[in-house]
Amino acid sequence: MNDDTDNFLPLSPATLHILLSLAAEDLHGYGIMQEVARQSEGKYKLGPGTLYDNLQKLIQHKLVQELGRRPGDDDPRRRYYRLTSLGRGVLAAETDRLGDVVREARLRLQIAKPRRA
Amino acid sequence: MLRSFYRCLLRLHPSGFRKRFADEMLSIFDHSAGKPAAVRLLMDGVVSLARQWTLRPEFWREVAAAQPAACDSVPSFCTLDPFRPRTGAVIQGLLLSAVLFFLTCFAIRYSWIHVLHVRIPEAPRESQLPIRPASSDSASTGVAGPAVAVRSEGNAPLSPSVALRPSHNTPVQPTPPAVATQDRTVQSPSAHSSTAGSPQSQATFGARPAMEGSGAGHPERRLASKSDRTNHPQSNPLPDQSGNAQVEVQQAKPQDATGASAVIPVTPRDVKPHAATLDAAERQVVVNGAIANLTKYYVNPDLGSQMADALRAHEKNGDDDAATDGEAFAVLLTQQMRDLSHDRYLMMVYSAVPNPENPPAPSPEEVALYRKEMERTNCSIEKAEILPHNIGYLKFNRFPDASICGTRVAAAMASLNHADAIIFDLRDNPGGYANMVALIATYLFDRPTHLNDFYNRGENSTEQSWTLPPVPGNRLADKPVFVLTSNSTFSAAEGFSYDLKMLKRATLVGETTSGRGHMGMGHRIDDHFTIRVPGVKVINPISNTNWEGTGVEPDVKVRSAEALKTAQKLAEKKLQQN
Repeated sequence: MNDDTDNFLPLSPATLHILLSLAAEDLHGYGIMQEVARQSEGKYKLGPGTLYDNLQKLIQHKLVQELGRRPGDDDPRRRYYRLTSLGRGVLAAETDRLGDVVREARLRLQIAKPRRA
Repeated sequence: MLRSFYRCLLRLHPSGFRKRFADEMLSIFDHSAGKPAAVRLLMDGVVSLARQWTLRPEFWREVAAAQPAACDSVPSFCTLDPFRPRTGAVIQGLLLSAVLFFLTCFAIRYSWIHVLHVRIPEAPRESQLPIRPASSDSASTGVAGPAVAVRSEGNAPLSPSVALRPSHNTPVQPTPPAVATQDRTVQSPSAHSSTAGSPQSQATFGARPAMEGSGAGHPERRLASKSDRTNHPQSNPLPDQSGNAQVEVQQAKPQDATGASAVIPVTPRDVKPHAATLDAAERQVVVNGAIANLTKYYVNPDLGSQMADALRAHEKNGDDDAATDGEAFAVLLTQQMRDLSHDRYLMMVYSAVPNPENPPAPSPEEVALYRKEMERTNCSIEKAEILPHNIGYLKFNRFPDASICGTRVAAAMASLNHADAIIFDLRDNPGGYANMVALIATYLFDRPTHLNDFYNRGENSTEQSWTLPPVPGNRLADKPVFVLTSNSTFSAAEGFSYDLKMLKRATLVGETTSGRGHMGMGHRIDDHFTIRVPGVKVINPISNTNWEGTGVEPDVKVRSAEALKTAQKLAEKKLQQN
């Protein structure tokens, strides 16, 4: 972990889901929304307003890169976005952080069980 | 429909966001399935709109510059200059605009205090000149709505055309019976067309609170003018007083179901005169009409009832039986009323020729005649000059209708604007319109000032008269003012003097004025009898009374002939003190 990535942590759920959905491949906005819905099994629905608001910030902070339109796409209005190396680093850092949180949480829960029993 | 709405929402986003993402958001909307999804997107759009405008000012401009070509399908205005004011500046601008807006509204309201209830008259044509209603007439001279401030009631006659419209009560200045007799003899077409029918007299009397004296109650004047109009001692060449009694009568109309009405006509010669003899039945009708009118209109209700009782008692006693002649009967009834009231304006008038029930409205020619007359006589302004020691002197012999003479009077006042003191000479002023009183008084105050109230007994209503908002550039508001009075100063001229005296704004120099603070109205009883009942009285807001009967006492009593000299000396002295 380094300072560059630490500055962005912790990520908001929307940002985390967006970065996560772009981790595997470049996607357009609608694709991101669908991917987010899939990842969360429909529990987290990202609206376009929230999506592009976050994309705007992510682009400004260079976590995401805008690729522009693709000629062969179904809808010529769509633009694609890609995770930058910085974005990938932030995602990794957030994943680690969350991993620590999960680990800590599990530990605490295990300690707590006997007491309750 | 929903799509259009969504497009509108996108269009309302900050241009930076819009240009960069609106296409894609619309694309997503197009891919949404079903109405519920579209509605959710709409809600999302609303939230996004609020978020972008309130929480993301840093993206308003920066992103817009980066992607200018992204607004293909979303209509928007593009500006050459990407300048965007700071949020703080926008908020300050909004606040400032709101403050200015409220200040403007307040100012408009303030200036409308006297205008709100006013009906702008349809001013008649003045020769070839375009119509200038009261407000515009005065506006051109920097004086706002001269006719307006004075009359706060809707049916206030502001110009001859308005004044002459039939109204329920036609105010007149009653004249003594002897004079009334003279009046009747003047009923001729020539008199009607040349003087009696001129809009001046009609308008003046038609204006209810317009305090027109016109010398109508002044026998000497009336007779002098009647005998030889061209040699009338008064410099005012306006329609003479002999016509007034007739004119006032012309405009009234039937009053009410009691038989009391308000018409005394000018009768053409070809109308068959009334047989002079009276029978008991007609006397009964006349007495009943007189009683009804006294009870309903007389300014002093108690006295009105007492007079009504007296008339009834006289009738029962058979005191009226001797009067078989219409004229004698009118004089007798007048005397009976005056025995009790000593009100010399109260009068029964007999006319040998029938009084029309619905007098015709003044013709445009008559109105034009009045305007011409006003032009010819310079609206009765005899002198407007600067005396030694820079004392302004304005002698005017009438208070003409401000809607017609506002411009000229304003010009006269402007010519005296640089005077160090001002003298108003009302020694030969028989009164006129209250709106002109207010207009001239406007120059003497730096704020709208309450002059007096007009109480109308018949309508049980009170109307206020105020000066107008200050005239821009006026310098007379704080200058010493002197008013010259005489025992020939009547009605509105007395009102002007009294108001300024009560407000301690002027020093009155001369003689006690004639004492006319009530205004009468002619009420038609039948074809030949009309009763004139003082039905409107002036109430000064400071003294809570008026000058009726007592006249206006000058501050410095001197003979009227010496009033000007005295006032000049006083003014000089005052200026030296300053």
